[in-house]
Amino acid sequence: MTAATWRSYVLLLRWQFLRQRAFLPMLVLIQVALGVGVIYGFSFLVPHVTPNIALFFATGAPTLSLILVGLTVVPQETAQSRTDGRLSYLAALPVPRLTPMLAEVTFWLLVQLPGTVATLTIAALHFDIHLHISPFVIPAVGLVALTSAAVGYALAVSLPPTVASQIASFMSIVLLLFSPINYPLSRLPEVLQDIHRALPVTYMADVIRGSLSGEYGANRSLAFGVVSAYCVAGLALAVRAAARRR
Amino acid sequence: MLLEFDGVTKRFRNGVLANDDVSLTVDAGEVFGLLGPNGAGKTTLVSQLLGLLVPDAGRILIDGADVVADPGLARRRCSFQPQAAAPVAGLSARQAIEIVGRIRGGTKAAVRRRAAELVEILDLAEVADRPVPMSGGMARLTGFCMAAVVPGRVVVLDEPTNDVDPLRRRALWGCIRALADDGAAVLLVTHNVLEAERCVDRLAILGGSRVLADGTPAALKANLAAALRLECSVEPELPVPTPPAALGPATLVGRRLVVRVELSDVADAVAWAKAQQDGGAIAEFAVVPASLEDVYASWVAPQRLAS
Repeated sequence: MTAATWRSYVLLLRWQFLRQRAFLPMLVLIQVALGVGVIYGFSFLVPHVTPNIALFFATGAPTLSLILVGLTVVPQETAQSRTDGRLSYLAALPVPRLTPMLAEVTFWLLVQLPGTVATLTIAALHFDIHLHISPFVIPAVGLVALTSAAVGYALAVSLPPTVASQIASFMSIVLLLFSPINYPLSRLPEVLQDIHRALPVTYMADVIRGSLSGEYGANRSLAFGVVSAYCVAGLALAVRAAARRR
Repeated sequence: MLLEFDGVTKRFRNGVLANDDVSLTVDAGEVFGLLGPNGAGKTTLVSQLLGLLVPDAGRILIDGADVVADPGLARRRCSFQPQAAAPVAGLSARQAIEIVGRIRGGTKAAVRRRAAELVEILDLAEVADRPVPMSGGMARLTGFCMAAVVPGRVVVLDEPTNDVDPLRRRALWGCIRALADDGAAVLLVTHNVLEAERCVDRLAILGGSRVLADGTPAALKANLAAALRLECSVEPELPVPTPPAALGPATLVGRRLVVRVELSDVADAVAWAKAQQDGGAIAEFAVVPASLEDVYASWVAPQRLAS
């Protein structure tokens, strides 16, 4: 990353904060409430929570919200910026194509951070589990957020805003119910298990869970390898979508 | 030549031909007006210069370098005020201007100084330091400043004066002139023909996706059939008087009746108007030299009829 690229990234991030400044306390509060609510909600949904289930709940909630920021918030914001002219304004500025998206993702990650910490703390207390947080959590969070955001961004730039937001809501339901984020992969039917072995979601949940608890589903290298590969593919897709001139 | 459009043709996927073989040149130090009715392809042309759209045929050159092949170069060389309000929600005018100036490569001190200068000249003090919801005019002026804070070799302004009050508008035209005097090629998209007449060095009239005419305002007016026009304010209650057919074509806009008049017919025209005024059908009248608006109408109206 050159100095000029870094500078434009920092400036766009600053722009993002100034733009959302008025809503910032509300956005952070909602993330906190959502995380805490999910943990309490799960205990109604599943009355007898074993330590293993508790671990899935505690680490699944932040994983899910990381993915959802990328797949729903980023497309919504991008669709909005297409409508209000922000997207093409930024596209005419001398900044590398993906810098606006990177600033957007960073902003939402930072907004989410207090909620994630609150969720993990509440989960650890509520379910009485012990987390072993390793430094791998940083690349894990970065990869998961970036991969989802890249895909979400590519969708929002390539498709009409209404279609993009419909697809985004559909994906969030699928992720919530049919993805091995809040429960182990083995609980899904064979067919879905096979599909999920090829998709990144299982591995995304695994790198987050593993880096927070030390317990990886399969092995760490495989999980990070798959998520990294999807991240590169997602970014390539996003670059293509962003650089495309009609 | 600093900026050159050479045979630029753009057809959208829905089949609409937005630009048809458009060739124009703009030199350093020049304010070049791009005039034309809605849908004439002005914004489409500008979007291709900025690399937001890609032409089907033709070349766009800045300092001889092809920016269609290298859209990154276009973004570095052009600063831009969009037709829609610049995205300044949540920011104070100064913040928006300074951020864009820094993104465009200005140093902190230089950008701060220049932003303060623009805020002062355009009288933006009331929105300069508070992130208030801006009026349309204020947001547009802020958008202009964002394009002018660290101007490109080419400065593209899409309808910069819309919604701007008369005093600030005058200051704005001064700033636009200064950008050109400092060596930029200013490409100005506008509907405002009367203002453009006073401020542009050369202009092109676009219509039906083609360049209908281009040149200096004086040269374009010299080609006009009638050199003068008779302007009459008609009384609202009475039927609109019909000028003698010998005078020339008449158009009525609201209560303003305009008749294009040859120099040799001025006496007849004034006699007719005076008689109408005495009869009460006309409140007042004047004979004035033809303006760029007449040039514009002479090109655009027949073209519109033909389509």
